[in-house]
Amino acid sequence: MNYRMRCYNCGAHLTEQDFCTSCGAQVKQYKMLVMASNRLYNVGLEKARVRDLSGAIVSLRECLRLNKNHIEARNLLGLVYFETGEVTAALSEWVISKNFKPNKNIADTYINMVQENQSRLEEINKTIRSYNQALMHCQQEGKDMAIIQLKKVLKLNPNFLRARQLLALLFMDAGNYDIAERELKKCLKIDNGNMLTKRYLQEVDNMLRPAELAGQDAPVKKEEGAEVIRYYNEKNDLVIKPAQVKEPKATSSVLNVLLGIIIGVAVTFFLVLPARIQAVRQETNEELIAVNEEAADKAAQLDELNVQVADLSQKNKELSAQLEQYAGTDGNLELAEKLLTAAQMYLATPDEEGLRTIGSNLHDIETGADISTLSDSFQNLFRTLMAVAGPQISDLYYNEGYTAYQDGDFQKAVDAYTQAVYFDATDEEALYQLGNAYRRNEDAENALKIYQQVIDLFPNTDRATRSQQYINQLN
Amino acid sequence: MIVFEEEIKKFHPCLEVGELTDAIYNQDMTDMAEVLVNVVRDAKDEADTKNNDKE
Repeated sequence: MNYRMRCYNCGAHLTEQDFCTSCGAQVKQYKMLVMASNRLYNVGLEKARVRDLSGAIVSLRECLRLNKNHIEARNLLGLVYFETGEVTAALSEWVISKNFKPNKNIADTYINMVQENQSRLEEINKTIRSYNQALMHCQQEGKDMAIIQLKKVLKLNPNFLRARQLLALLFMDAGNYDIAERELKKCLKIDNGNMLTKRYLQEVDNMLRPAELAGQDAPVKKEEGAEVIRYYNEKNDLVIKPAQVKEPKATSSVLNVLLGIIIGVAVTFFLVLPARIQAVRQETNEELIAVNEEAADKAAQLDELNVQVADLSQKNKELSAQLEQYAGTDGNLELAEKLLTAAQMYLATPDEEGLRTIGSNLHDIETGADISTLSDSFQNLFRTLMAVAGPQISDLYYNEGYTAYQDGDFQKAVDAYTQAVYFDATDEEALYQLGNAYRRNEDAENALKIYQQVIDLFPNTDRATRSQQYINQLN
Repeated sequence: MIVFEEEIKKFHPCLEVGELTDAIYNQDMTDMAEVLVNVVRDAKDEADTKNNDKE
């Protein structure tokens, strides 16, 4: 195909003349250059037609190096790239082409074809990423991973020549020459002029040649270590068989046994023990869960008991308060008991000892509680008892005081007279004698108080006069 | 004999679709025709300058 030439200066169509008929620019060399690029385009097109895609790429790139405006060459180059699975390179060429010639350009159709299906575009991008990853795995000694990745890539983009070549290389490296050969033949179907494919295929052929050349009895191929290998074809399968099989020696048997033991220990360590440890752990965990549940139950019971204790404490407090209330309302139970005892003893006509007990009870009642706060019946009984029994008890203590006074035991006399005055406050003599007992006991202070009481309570009496005299004397 | 490590160096990562725009912008688009046109123009300019100097 001839590329219609335009003047580089004014853009007018060029004629057979060596100058531009429009602007007069010299175009001889330019026309030669454009014609050379046209020839390269034609070569590229021919190569592409016979699927020599690598050759086509070289020619078309040379063409574009001479004349970058060669739209057909650029579009064809994109198409060839696309056919080898290089979608980004194809898109790149088509985009540039469209930039040079925005209208009536078939690149537009190609771009739309790729871009209108977003999922397809994403899939293409995914294959590219996977290929790059596989390449990285190859460089990092992850060849198995690389093979897996490349197989995925080729499933999505079967024409991806570079990926298939890399996969073949990996198979060759792994010694799988027959699989590598299969992949390389697919590569040749895509691009029959690719030098890399041909070189790899030659390598594969070299490795598989003995089998191909051989009939039933294959020639012997020697490898490193002088190990002799025999190749032959059986139906469609390639059989590789060592020509010489050595009998195992005794040392090798021992080594094999040792190896077996080591493998057994390793299996136990890596397979059995972890399973056993796992089982024990699980058992322990179950026990732990059971113990935790039991502890939770106990804790719940404890909480319940605590609540009960709190309730009972509260009830105890309430009952104690009620008891105190009862005691407060009806009078002290002990005091009541003492009062009743005293009353009972008085009614039974007591002797001296009985009178002393009655006196002791009445004294305890008065000193043990505030009588006015007790019940009226209690107060009445107490006052009645004091009124009827008090003088008798007073007399008893008066006599006791008198005897002690006479015996010179003035402290005992003080105590007895004090009791006598307590049980009968109207006993003028007992009070006066108490003052004397204090005086004789050398307790002037109390003696003065008592003498003053005699004067106050019983004025204008003989005892009052005498008391006054003692007061004067003591002062 | 093919050495894997040497061969793997010949494979290069593919350009992803997202990197396409940058790749296009960074591409050197100079062609021989452009070079030739520049050479012709330079020659013409030089000739014109010489003619002007003579005049």
